[in-house]
Amino acid sequence: MTEIIRTNLLTKNYGAAEVVSGVNMKVRRGEIYGFLGPNGAGKSTIMKMLLGLVQPTGGEIELFGDKLLPASTEHLKRIGHLIETPIFYEKLSAKQNLELHGEYMGYYNKQAVEEALELVQLIGVHSKPVKQFSLGMKQRLGIARAISTRPDLLLLDEPINGLDPEGIQLMRNLFRRLRDEWGVTLLISSHLLSEIEQVADTIGVINGGRLIREVSMDTVHASTNEYIEIVTSNVTNAAYVLTDKLGIQNFKYLGDRIIRVYDTDISQEKLSKGLVLNDVPIEAINRRHHTLEEYFLGIIRGGE
Amino acid sequence: MFHLIKLELKKGSFTGYIWGSLIAYLTIAGLMMIVYFVEGNNIEEPVFQGYTDMLHMIDLLVRATFIVYASVMISKLIINEFKDKTISLLFAYPVSRKKIIFAKLSIVFFWTFANVLLANLVVGALLISINAGVGYFTEPLTIHTLVQHAIYVLMQAIGAAGMSLLPLAIGMRNKSVPSTIVSSIVIVVLVCSNNLGFSISSIIAIPLSLAVIGILITYMSFRNIDRMDVG
Repeated sequence: MTEIIRTNLLTKNYGAAEVVSGVNMKVRRGEIYGFLGPNGAGKSTIMKMLLGLVQPTGGEIELFGDKLLPASTEHLKRIGHLIETPIFYEKLSAKQNLELHGEYMGYYNKQAVEEALELVQLIGVHSKPVKQFSLGMKQRLGIARAISTRPDLLLLDEPINGLDPEGIQLMRNLFRRLRDEWGVTLLISSHLLSEIEQVADTIGVINGGRLIREVSMDTVHASTNEYIEIVTSNVTNAAYVLTDKLGIQNFKYLGDRIIRVYDTDISQEKLSKGLVLNDVPIEAINRRHHTLEEYFLGIIRGGE
Repeated sequence: MFHLIKLELKKGSFTGYIWGSLIAYLTIAGLMMIVYFVEGNNIEEPVFQGYTDMLHMIDLLVRATFIVYASVMISKLIINEFKDKTISLLFAYPVSRKKIIFAKLSIVFFWTFANVLLANLVVGALLISINAGVGYFTEPLTIHTLVQHAIYVLMQAIGAAGMSLLPLAIGMRNKSVPSTIVSSIVIVVLVCSNNLGFSISSIIAIPLSLAVIGILITYMSFRNIDRMDVG
């Protein structure tokens, strides 16, 4: 069994609204799967269905190789989760919340609680009731709770919400460490590509309840092509020089000031020299990657 | 199951419940003493005809108090979990949802049952001993009276414990603490109000059938809990 999560035509309707429609997703063991999509795309609903909190209207879910039924609970022992905003028993302290969690999960290991709090660097707040925590602290505690029972699968819904840059960095490293050292499979959702692309091995793009594409980051990197971008006040002249003097055919206008040259055989120096010698005013010239942002926007738009 | 009950008590500070009950005992005892000393020696219109009357009044007060008390517990143990969304944590644990709800309901049921019995015993004993000293009414206290009252209280305690679940079904409809507590007060007013020494709850069949209805309605509202969407 290499796939930890498998869904088959997973669908959820609320009344007439189809929130999740026909999703077939596959999450492999030991990978970080980034769930990317705008707010309201259906990410949380899918995660709730995986936890059994929401019942699918149609389709199937397989977790750890077993089909999920409405009353199944056994698989939940192996899952850590943080869905939407972190929820706690606010009058209890961080430690009490985690211990209570362990009791319900059937996982008794006091040391694991300490360890989890340490991993998210939530130290010295043990006796304070959670009510007094900031959102960032609650977020850290939520992640600590999710990992405190040493799960095989982690479902994290927008886990970096409310964290400061330092916290974000910490979590990124933690996620990688969980994958590499503990062999945890992680499903992480976010509406921010920049967050997902730095940790994910595979990205599932979801929009309007549909899983538009599932793609490995390796493939993504291979298909984001390079180009040289020229900013000039005279695009007509520049285009003339490019085709007639430099023999470049593969370029594109972007607005009335920008030209992108996709023919990367020519060096940047040669290009700028050629343009300047032919009196083309150049404001800027840069070698760029087709950004991931553009790549995914392309997927989302193409899927609509 | 016992483990789940223990965890529930851990979450909701068990000592708080005990203090609540103690305060309720003191209030009932105080109220009864006021009635006893202010009205007790009114010879033309005595407030109590005898021990049975006095003990019934205690029982009525006790039940009214603990049915409302139960609605507060229901609010804390169940309604608030839904309102604060902590239920989505509970329902994502590898424990059957029915067991979780059952654990919560049994706390309410047994707490109400035990408190109705205990409060009757404590306040009843107190008033009987006061009367033994002050002696406003001199009718002898027979074993027969006591046994009969004990059976009566036992039945009423079962009735009250079952009835105390009725507000849950009403409160669950919109996950509202006020409507839970208000509906318990309405039940108390209907069932426990005393009209010239008569309350409809003194016909023992009425509280008992309300108890059955309470248990049935509760069962119905949680029957499909496994398929319910939360969060």
